[in-house]
Amino acid sequence: MSNQNQFLQVINLNYSYPDGTQALKEINLDIKEGEFLAFIGQNGSGKTTLSKCLNGLFKPTSGDVIVDGLNSRTTPIVQMVRRVGYVFQNPDHQLFNSNCWDEIAYGPRNIQLPGDQVRERVEEAAKVVGLPKEYFTEHPFFLSKGLRQRVAIASILALRPKLIIVDEPTTGQDARQSFEIMDFLRDLNEHHGHIIIIITHDMPIVAQYARRVIAMGQGCILADGPTSQVFTRADLLKQTFLEPPQITQLAQCAVDMGFDPGTLTIEGMLAQYDKLG
Amino acid sequence: MTALIEVENYTWQYLNAPQVSLNAIDLRIEEGTFVGIIGPNGAGKTTLAYSLDGLIPGQYRGIKHGTVKIRGREVEEYPRGQLQQKVGLVFSDPEAQFTAMTVEDELVFGMENLGMTIPEIRERLEWVTELTELTPLLFKPPYEISGGQKQRVALAAVLAMTPEVLILDEPTSMLDPVSRKRVFDVLAKLKQSKNTVIVIEHSLENLIPLADRMLLLSQGELLLDAETRAFFQHMDLLLEKGISPPGAMRFFHEMAKTGRYAGELPLSVDESLAKLETLVASRRTANGEMA
Repeated sequence: MSNQNQFLQVINLNYSYPDGTQALKEINLDIKEGEFLAFIGQNGSGKTTLSKCLNGLFKPTSGDVIVDGLNSRTTPIVQMVRRVGYVFQNPDHQLFNSNCWDEIAYGPRNIQLPGDQVRERVEEAAKVVGLPKEYFTEHPFFLSKGLRQRVAIASILALRPKLIIVDEPTTGQDARQSFEIMDFLRDLNEHHGHIIIIITHDMPIVAQYARRVIAMGQGCILADGPTSQVFTRADLLKQTFLEPPQITQLAQCAVDMGFDPGTLTIEGMLAQYDKLG
Repeated sequence: MTALIEVENYTWQYLNAPQVSLNAIDLRIEEGTFVGIIGPNGAGKTTLAYSLDGLIPGQYRGIKHGTVKIRGREVEEYPRGQLQQKVGLVFSDPEAQFTAMTVEDELVFGMENLGMTIPEIRERLEWVTELTELTPLLFKPPYEISGGQKQRVALAAVLAMTPEVLILDEPTSMLDPVSRKRVFDVLAKLKQSKNTVIVIEHSLENLIPLADRMLLLSQGELLLDAETRAFFQHMDLLLEKGISPPGAMRFFHEMAKTGRYAGELPLSVDESLAKLETLVASRRTANGEMA
């Protein structure tokens, strides 16, 4: 590989659904180790389709997706899912076993790991997501939504994918639950070596957690850059029907007073206020 | 005078639940008020909505204390089906209420059930499809349209019955920003025409401009009940209860905590900008005088 820490490369990717609808147009994207990204854009902009191309569930109509040196066209899905994991928006869409242990063990068993390795991976994944052992025999549906989401993430982690895509992690959660899930994803990113991609409409969450933003619209990438830079492009955000977080909006209205239009946090805003003459 | 909604010392515990879901709630809502209800998941918000609509105690088993009155009459006293004409409830999952094969049938279903005449139904159908911008979708099956469109159909179907109070339980929590905005556009129209509306919602930035009054529920208790501006002056309590108020407001709260700002917390970006301009200008004048 040309770049040693490059993990994923998307080259001139086009994807059309069997009915002919073109969902992705000429996508080019490089993702490196250690990144924390957000895919933003309105429903139907191609975020989820792109994610499914990244984990090999969809094969490109034209162009290539190269993950960890493997081309998704020729690599069996079993190999792909060990590298790119996808967590559904609604954990109930992916949980189908009658207890948490079987749920988390499903992936490792499916890729035919021997029993002792399956056990090791389940225990490891449960530990990372903070699922206590007494829940192993519980039916996932008796857990809270937050815990069900953790079980869903654990079942993906058990395959040890380098890259984890989480589709709308905060939808339907209250503020405290949202921060809990996001802090957990940040921990996976900072201390467990995972690349994280979140797909979300929640701009305050993007501002607080993602270091890079990919804005999509009508199957194309409209912008790709550091979060603070993408948020300064008001024209572009309007195209995606999104608004930057309120603190960023305030800073952008107050540029004449000397505030940075790329301000993402309240702390950042306070620090700038103190420095004003 | 009796208010449209009067809840007195109301406590509800679901059968076999370890604790009460709502505890000693006192609440009066006058006609024409737009009320926002916020609180963490599990606070009792949906239970309160069900209690106002008579689903509790009608369809759920449990132990009730106190009274819930609509138009001066306890919810249990209404003959079956009559309360639901006064109180319309829209669920967060619109599919939970769909029964028909076309959007038009869905909208007409409730009105037919009420025994309305055909000309009356026709008139209301026209009014409600225009209000919710559903005209192009009338002949589509409800399961073929997008999530945001479904939510507007659910809302329209309830509105068509012209309830005296409309309750929406997290109407936009599963929607993308465009669809969310369109639902709030409909709510803004309802506010303009002085409807009584109660919305349970996590999206505060959309709710604040519409709400006359806000309620905070937490662990079954009504912790705060105030006019919207006064409500958000209790920032420490809101933050403690896991509410995440909009960023501009939180910025001024931080400024106030450290003595850099004194006064009311602003409700919008525009208000915040005006306050920030004043602060910066007065600081510059002060610094200029010192120099």
